[in-house]
Amino acid sequence: MLSGESCLEPTRDVYPGFEGTTAQVRELAPLEELSSSRYSRTDRLATVAAQDAMANSGYDSSTFRDSGIVMANTVGGLTEIDTGIAEDPAAWYRRPGSLLRGASYPFAHVADAVGEHFGIRGPRCAISVACASGAMAIALAANMLLDEAAPIMLVGGSDPLCPFTLSGFNSLRALDPKPCSPFDQNRNGLNLGEGSAVLILETLASATARNAKVLAVLRGWAMTNDAFHTTAPEKQGSGLADCIKLSMEMAEVSGDDIGYVNAHGTGTPLNDIAEANAYETAFRGRSRPIPVSSTKSYFGHCLGAAGALEAAITIMAVRAGALLPTLRLADPIDSPGVDWLRGKVKRQPLPLAMSVSSGFGGSNTVLIFGSGRS
Amino acid sequence: MTPNLPPVTITGIGSVSPYGPLAGLIPQYPPERPLEPSPITAWTSAGPRRAFLVQPFRPASVVPGLKTRRLDRLSAWALVASSLAIQDAGIDLSQVDRSRVAVVFATAFGCVELTEAFYLSAAANGWNGTDPTTFPETLASAPPSHVSLFHGLRGPNVTVSNKDFAGESALIQAASLLRHGQADLAIVLAGDALAQTLYSWYEAAGLLSPACYKSGPLPEAGGFIPSEGVAALVVESSGRRNVRPNVRPYARIGSGRWAAGGQPAEIIRQMLGGAVPSLTVCSGNGAPCATSSTTALAREISGDGAVIIPPQPFAGGLAGTGALFHLILALSSRPISGQALLLGTAGDSGFAALLLELP
Repeated sequence: MLSGESCLEPTRDVYPGFEGTTAQVRELAPLEELSSSRYSRTDRLATVAAQDAMANSGYDSSTFRDSGIVMANTVGGLTEIDTGIAEDPAAWYRRPGSLLRGASYPFAHVADAVGEHFGIRGPRCAISVACASGAMAIALAANMLLDEAAPIMLVGGSDPLCPFTLSGFNSLRALDPKPCSPFDQNRNGLNLGEGSAVLILETLASATARNAKVLAVLRGWAMTNDAFHTTAPEKQGSGLADCIKLSMEMAEVSGDDIGYVNAHGTGTPLNDIAEANAYETAFRGRSRPIPVSSTKSYFGHCLGAAGALEAAITIMAVRAGALLPTLRLADPIDSPGVDWLRGKVKRQPLPLAMSVSSGFGGSNTVLIFGSGRS
Repeated sequence: MTPNLPPVTITGIGSVSPYGPLAGLIPQYPPERPLEPSPITAWTSAGPRRAFLVQPFRPASVVPGLKTRRLDRLSAWALVASSLAIQDAGIDLSQVDRSRVAVVFATAFGCVELTEAFYLSAAANGWNGTDPTTFPETLASAPPSHVSLFHGLRGPNVTVSNKDFAGESALIQAASLLRHGQADLAIVLAGDALAQTLYSWYEAAGLLSPACYKSGPLPEAGGFIPSEGVAALVVESSGRRNVRPNVRPYARIGSGRWAAGGQPAEIIRQMLGGAVPSLTVCSGNGAPCATSSTTALAREISGDGAVIIPPQPFAGGLAGTGALFHLILALSSRPISGQALLLGTAGDSGFAALLLELP
């Protein structure tokens, strides 16, 4: 991403007749046990990400035994199910392996898959709040940590590409057939992606006590709902603006303290203008325009995983002091309070950054990350 | 680890179930004749099939002005149940800061009826010819989104699931939102709608009770009877509830824990901090079996002298989302007071437990 490389490419192998642009995980790292048919692609993506996160934490794997798990997704096991299930369910379930494939359908399955694979026995649940799922999972996991529901939380999101969602967004005419250009005046829709990100959350006291490598501190979080429309955001972005302000109140910071916003930035006409309006409102009074970019221009919109992936990227931005530009942003939306990042990566110290997520149904979630040094 | 949930109070109940759409507790419960599963007519099968079904009703006749024509049954029931719970709590939403009202929804299967419909449109027209109006309504979070939209609720809107304890975890998450000042009031909903693909899976997996195939007395073991419905609770921080006069609190939620494993009895005793609940409401899934793992754990915690209400057939047929109905049925069944435990178990050692104080 630092070199401006995008994973978006012409779609292959999702369903016949679809021509468009997506970002696909080509080689999912093999885990021997995951060859079992009871793991959907959603489960496999999450399990690989969880394994990476645990390995990176510096903890021995046994430490996670009583951890909590909150996993976000929207697709569940739909990757394993075809149209035959609706045409004749009884016949479909008589196919070899179909009972296990059907069992992976509930969106809670991914939390169980991760928990069972690693022998983790703390509280576990799944969150599904459309495209805000991954970020909301992090907010709720943070609440659980403060409630002492578990000593450590594994939290993240996972969503694969599948015919169901690609077809759904295609039917809504929400897809840009070419690589998307969020926040551009001539934006033409989103590209779907797939992936998973998992974070290890623990209290700062716990991390400090074990002299851990603190990747970032989650300083504030907030959740709101537009209560406006099932698919469209409220045009002025007032629900999102409220969410941004609430997160800054929680973090006890002002708009001037935020150095970068990793935006939801889908590239759809309605989302991007509502989001720009939200930034104008929430950061009004700031001494200089707020730097904003959408990293969906690199890897598409990963739906239930998007908020978690973008939280991870925001953390990396803070650690690297790197403000990533939006790719293909030629003619930005006219929004004087926003510094639309484009062109090259900007290097500067970044004590605080914000990750913003919204979704169908009007849900918004905002997370504020600070460097481990702040 | 000490659970540190705040006391929050349940002040309103609404439900849509085989007992009909109801505000408050279920009158004359338990009925003289136990609820029986109804024949399934929504799809054809090789022989009669039965389940605990919500009988068709017109939502607008229960909640004036409610438009549900484009919604699936689960979203419509969530709207009706939430409206009835708000009415039962005596809350005038026009007098409430609705940016401080959260919606927390627990579901195991989400909008499975419309997911089926979307697959059928793909089967008929190809994936490039699917129905755009159906797709957004297939999301598991569609029902609570409609609740927020209809009532104008702008606080957090959360959809949560857990194979065995979705209802309990929704209550715990809602209490947590109140504790952390992220909302003052929450509408907690839990439920599912039965669809053919779901029922067929239960059948293919050999999980169904003989009572799904023939009428007669309900057997106590040998499988479960699938159910459908949505329960809604209004929960308020105790401080907020205290400033509203003439409020009837159903129960105060003290603390809660859930886990996928470990030593349930030990963890729950630690949560109780020496308290011995006089009543345990078992919310485990499955048949009403007095020897279920949930009732066994309840006895281990509370001793032989405690009153234990075993899992109920209708609520037990809601996979993972029956906890709210188990609580409503228990409160409807008898005048109870003191400390009670809402308890579910799953697998070898998974559990969810909420300590309730009943006025």
